[in-house]
Amino acid sequence: MAPLIDCVFLLLIFFMVATIMRVNPPFPVDLPRAQMKEEFPRKRYNVYIGANGEIAIDDMLVGTLDDLDRFFAQKAQLIRTLIIRADKMAKHGDVIDVMERAKMRGIESIAIGVKEEAEY
Amino acid sequence: MRRGETRMRGSRKTSPPRMNMAPLIDCVFLLLIFFMVSTTFAPMPGIRVKLPPPGRPSTTKPKGLVLQIADPEPGNPYGIMILNGQVVDMPTLFDRFMNAPQTAKNMLIIQAGRKVLHQQIVEVIDLAKRAGIDKIGFAVVARTP
Repeated sequence: MAPLIDCVFLLLIFFMVATIMRVNPPFPVDLPRAQMKEEFPRKRYNVYIGANGEIAIDDMLVGTLDDLDRFFAQKAQLIRTLIIRADKMAKHGDVIDVMERAKMRGIESIAIGVKEEAEY
Repeated sequence: MRRGETRMRGSRKTSPPRMNMAPLIDCVFLLLIFFMVSTTFAPMPGIRVKLPPPGRPSTTKPKGLVLQIADPEPGNPYGIMILNGQVVDMPTLFDRFMNAPQTAKNMLIIQAGRKVLHQQIVEVIDLAKRAGIDKIGFAVVARTP
């Protein structure tokens, strides 16, 4: 019995560590399609931009660009590649604003999120 | 005498204490299944882009391809595009990218208006990547705070 329990605990700890919760932004985001795309590991702290310029980090709504700037200042060390997932109807200016704030806080690697083949 | 007897009887009956493990294992299995189901290993698809370094706008004329996109007119979701001084549209843009001189093909700089839809930008980047242009940059037109 004991080895079984050891094994199950090990698996449990593995999955607890590896789990990144699938979070949805507080507004619908319809990502644009693209044929050429790279794969990035699924990490926390993705920026979502809605069609009307709303900004969210994972499921947390960000009110102003200053709030976003403050967030980047705190979390820049933890973000290797910032994936900006903007709605296809979002304005380019809003996307650029987010990119620029990230860049100012030292996030060098930025990617634009595109639609997954099998969207859930 | 009687007390000794009792102690003897008690010690004979003592067996190692056993803990009932079944509820614990049930609980752990439940947690395990929860974490297994909620874990996502699928990567996120994306397109890598570059921005010029912040703070110092470059004054030199960029060497690569420069695509300017105007804010869309009412009624048309797509803005007019100008590639190195010539008006282009979406269907011919790919050929323009393909026929560009090799020296110009190392980088594409997109200068787009603030109201251009994100969709159009991604389509342009997609075409550029398919034509073999690896580095995509944006000329920043940020809102002044």
